[in-house]
Amino acid sequence: MVEFTLPANSRPTKGKAHPAESGATNVRTFHVYRFDPDSGNNPRIDTFDLDLDKCGPMVLDALIKIKNEVDPTLTFRRSCREGVCGSCSFNIDGTNTIACTKPIEEIKGDVKIYPLPHMPVVKDLVCDLNQPYAQYAAMEPWIKTDTPAPNRERLQSEEEREKLDGLWECILCFCCQTSCPSYWWNGDRYMGPAVLLQANRWIQDSRDEATGERLDELDDPFRLYRCHTIMNCSNTCPKNLNPGRAIGEIKEALAKRQ
Amino acid sequence: MMDQMRSQLGRVRGLGSNKHGVGHWWAQRITAVALVPLSIWAVVSAVSLTGADYTTFQAWISEHGNLVLMLSFVVAMFHHANLGMQTVIEDYVHGEATKITLLITTKFIAAIGAISCIVATLKVALTG
Ligand code: SF4
Ligand code: SF4
Ligand code: FES
Repeated sequence: MVEFTLPANSRPTKGKAHPAESGATNVRTFHVYRFDPDSGNNPRIDTFDLDLDKCGPMVLDALIKIKNEVDPTLTFRRSCREGVCGSCSFNIDGTNTIACTKPIEEIKGDVKIYPLPHMPVVKDLVCDLNQPYAQYAAMEPWIKTDTPAPNRERLQSEEEREKLDGLWECILCFCCQTSCPSYWWNGDRYMGPAVLLQANRWIQDSRDEATGERLDELDDPFRLYRCHTIMNCSNTCPKNLNPGRAIGEIKEALAKRQ
Repeated sequence: MMDQMRSQLGRVRGLGSNKHGVGHWWAQRITAVALVPLSIWAVVSAVSLTGADYTTFQAWISEHGNLVLMLSFVVAMFHHANLGMQTVIEDYVHGEATKITLLITTKFIAAIGAISCIVATLKVALTG
């Protein structure tokens, strides 16, 4: 059944408060979700008062400052710090986004940082993404052809190539995936917006010769049709992509071959 | 948890695609589109027939066009309601046994409701 409240052992409690260094004038409060599975305790929300004059502009800069200067046990993923690796996705100020391109300035009042919603938490802000990765793998995200490989690149017209715009840019941060209510309730069978956008990236590719098989795999009431066009996915994507529309294109392709 | 030791990919692939997703989705759209004019027609008819006696109503429903539209309305409505309920149940109910029981019950209720409406309409229209 759908769960509307957290299980008792997942309810966050009030955590430690870390005041700003003395003499700080431009102070902002960060509420950060902490969870340590080895401790046996409930998750807690720690607060960190940071001097923004001594901090970079993005939310990721604040997290790195906390880890370097206040609490080295804070655990989170990040790598590129420029919005291309998709590692630093969290729920920030109530919306899923990547911390490295989210300016602190854009947030009014205290900054709340939680892990991506409805995923098992490994530690602090790190959640378990094995399921969406496996779903991505199940889409077989590589070109499939029967025509023997040419001696040069496989050609595409400009129009054919344009069909991949809005799809290839996806960084697999799973902000959309974990914002989708259908994915929350049925993530074990519904592929989710990120994975479906990636599937569409191959369905729309004029060089691929397995379009029909790919559609067969998605012609399923759970894998694809759990999407009810709620559009949370498209509202949250930090790369301004539109997974909702990509899903619409898959449904359109399936309707065309009816 | 039967699946505990199974690989994540094996779990995701599960029993495979059921290959009938688009049919359900398409039927939902078609019945929805059909219900737009049919519901307007039903409401307008009901309003214009308020206060009419049985003989007037019987004469109205036994007209070929009205009878066809009424039966189409009943079929489209129950079919659409059944598909809609199925979607809601599949979204929110996760225990296999409860889910299947609810799905079958909804289908039976929809079928019996539709058949009973059709029989009642035909009775009035054809026998008076
Ligand atoms: S449009 Fe579909 S995939 Fe996107 S949030 Fe809504 S249900 Fe989920
Ligand atoms: S579509 Fe956007 S939100 Fe979804 S995984 Fe790709 S980049 Fe992230
Ligand atoms: S660190 Fe790579 S996307 Fe944020």
